Amino acid sequence: MYAINVDNVTKFFSVINEDKTASGFTAVSSVSLKIETGKIISLLGPSGCGKTTFLEMLGGLQAPTEGSVYVDGKLVLETPPSIDSTKKEKRAYKRKYRFISPLANSMWRNRPKHDIAMMFQDYAVFPWMTVFQNVIFALKLRNVPKRERRERALHQLKKVGLDNALSKYPAQLSGGMKQRLALARALAVQPKVILMDEPFAAVDILTRERLQDELLKLIDETDITIVLVTHDISEAVYLSDEIVVFSANPGTIRNKFTLDIKRPRRRNSSEALEYEERIQSLLKYETKHLGDYAI
Amino acid sequence: MVATIKGGIILIRNKTLAFFRINIVHLLRLPFVRKARNRDILSIETPEQLCCEVQEFHCGAIKRILREITSFLKGAILNTFTPAFLVILVPLLLLWELLPRFGIVNYALIPSLSTVLLTFWEMLAQRQFLHDIGDSMVKFFAGLGLAIVVAVPLGVITGWNVAIRKRILPLFQMLSPIPPPAWVPITIIFFGVGFPMQTFLIFLGSFYPILFNTFGAVKDTEPRYLASARSFGASEFTLILRVYIPSALGAIIMSIRSGVSAGLIMLVIAEMYGGSSGIGFVLNEARSFFNVPRMMVGMMTLGFIGWFLVEILKYAESKLVVWKGGR
Ligand SMILES: Nc1ncnc2c1ncn2[C@@H]1O[C@H](COP(=O)(O)OP(=O)(O)O)[C@@H](O)[C@H]1O
Ligand SMILES: [Mg+2]
Repeated sequence: MYAINVDNVTKFFSVINEDKTASGFTAVSSVSLKIETGKIISLLGPSGCGKTTFLEMLGGLQAPTEGSVYVDGKLVLETPPSIDSTKKEKRAYKRKYRFISPLANSMWRNRPKHDIAMMFQDYAVFPWMTVFQNVIFALKLRNVPKRERRERALHQLKKVGLDNALSKYPAQLSGGMKQRLALARALAVQPKVILMDEPFAAVDILTRERLQDELLKLIDETDITIVLVTHDISEAVYLSDEIVVFSANPGTIRNKFTLDIKRPRRRNSSEALEYEERIQSLLKYETKHLGDYAI
Repeated sequence: MVATIKGGIILIRNKTLAFFRINIVHLLRLPFVRKARNRDILSIETPEQLCCEVQEFHCGAIKRILREITSFLKGAILNTFTPAFLVILVPLLLLWELLPRFGIVNYALIPSLSTVLLTFWEMLAQRQFLHDIGDSMVKFFAGLGLAIVVAVPLGVITGWNVAIRKRILPLFQMLSPIPPPAWVPITIIFFGVGFPMQTFLIFLGSFYPILFNTFGAVKDTEPRYLASARSFGASEFTLILRVYIPSALGAIIMSIRSGVSAGLIMLVIAEMYGGSSGIGFVLNEARSFFNVPRMMVGMMTLGFIGWFLVEILKYAESKLVVWKGGR
């Protein structure tokens, strides 16, 4: 059983230029990918190659232009009618989502469409809620019974070491603490899949390595599937079971590596360095035509 | 009586001391515990603080409200009349007193400060002026309240939903360029002269700033927060209540601030054009009697009311948007 099944997905953005002409941009082009339950997958690639777009399609924050994404066997978002669809289909789609966006869960009842949690580079924890309220709120949105919420929130916050900052607001936390909060919030709801978009990119290197270790410890012995977008090769090699390298223009899968390095892993072990070198040379080739482009 | 709350958490010196069962006499009646239950957490620094809070509760609600009001007044006055400002203000007031007195400016046109204050005192003693102020305030709050009740929900809904926005907002965008004073003649024809007409004009003045600012703030809600709440399962209703409104709350309060100033303008216009009481009426009356000190009292009263309301809104913002402060 695959946790995530991406079937020939394409994402096309129509762009209105300054001179009012319309043009298009293919951010992701015919990508197919199957991800097994319980694995950690990294998506690696130069910036602008559509990693975020791809992840947002997995999370149901953007609908693919073509193809479909299944999480846990369920279709994530209905693909909008394409140019070749009949008028009737187009009209039906338009009418269906006239008042409520296709991304919305429902009007009144809290219920996620899919059992996923997301983490963003800029944390996206709610600044108007305290640390504790942030986690409680996420649990409430999952309809966890009231008495269970506190216990689970407190338990998870203790695990990430935030139990002495419960009544602080995110503005009072450091970047690392905010990311811990986001991690605790994602884990507390016990999702099947966690999607992370460069989660550790905004913290310093020492905190980053600690957070990586904590992440591995926290998801140990769970069957949570993790899709991790990163531009940090050593992070990808240290964490993942599989690395998917993307190439830009249009964004497609360039190559896949399965890492059979035993866990617990050591940073900078010879095996790891070997993988890093291989990926590095692949990405160098990948970005050569872009000039001195930062990865 | 021993009360039990389940699942409470007491933090002492930020360490979790006890949770899931606390027994304290009258615990449930303590307001800070009730507050804590709402916020899911009760944070106190020391055991002594618990005693303090208990004592504070016993000192009664009225006393606490008074304390809150005192702290507001103190903050408002001290924040405005800082030494830095007084250095400018006092010489200006002195000039106002001395220039007319020594005949440097025409005393009949600009009466000195002391004359104005004396007139103010006389007017207060006559009571009629107090009635006028009260009258104006009733109209003003009726109009402003109506504007808040209509414009804030409308702004939230149009900010939230594109389809509703496209259907509703253009109407207001077309109507809003009509200057509110231009509505005076037709309003008088519709409502006659009096309370409904004045309230409607005040409503009209404060409605658009509140609507458009609320709409803008709600529309500009950080999409990351929406995505994050949606991925956890938020319904649209929950999004409005727990994401759109909290993130826009500061701006909504500030939009009411611009509503206050626009409303005051309309208050004066409404009372000047049709009315037999109120501050605007006093101003008009003073003009026909060429009573400049009386005019100045009316103007200063309006200025003070506006300043005071804005200070109240600032205080409300500081109490409601506690999370904005940095480290
Ligand atoms: N809403 C959008 N409209 C037009 N172009 C977009 C939009 N979102 C992303 N893109 C384009 O798609 C490409 C991929 O973006 P993104 O997925 O953010 O890349 P990455 O995360 O790999 O850096 C970029 O070139 C970007 O300019
Ligand atoms: Mg990105």
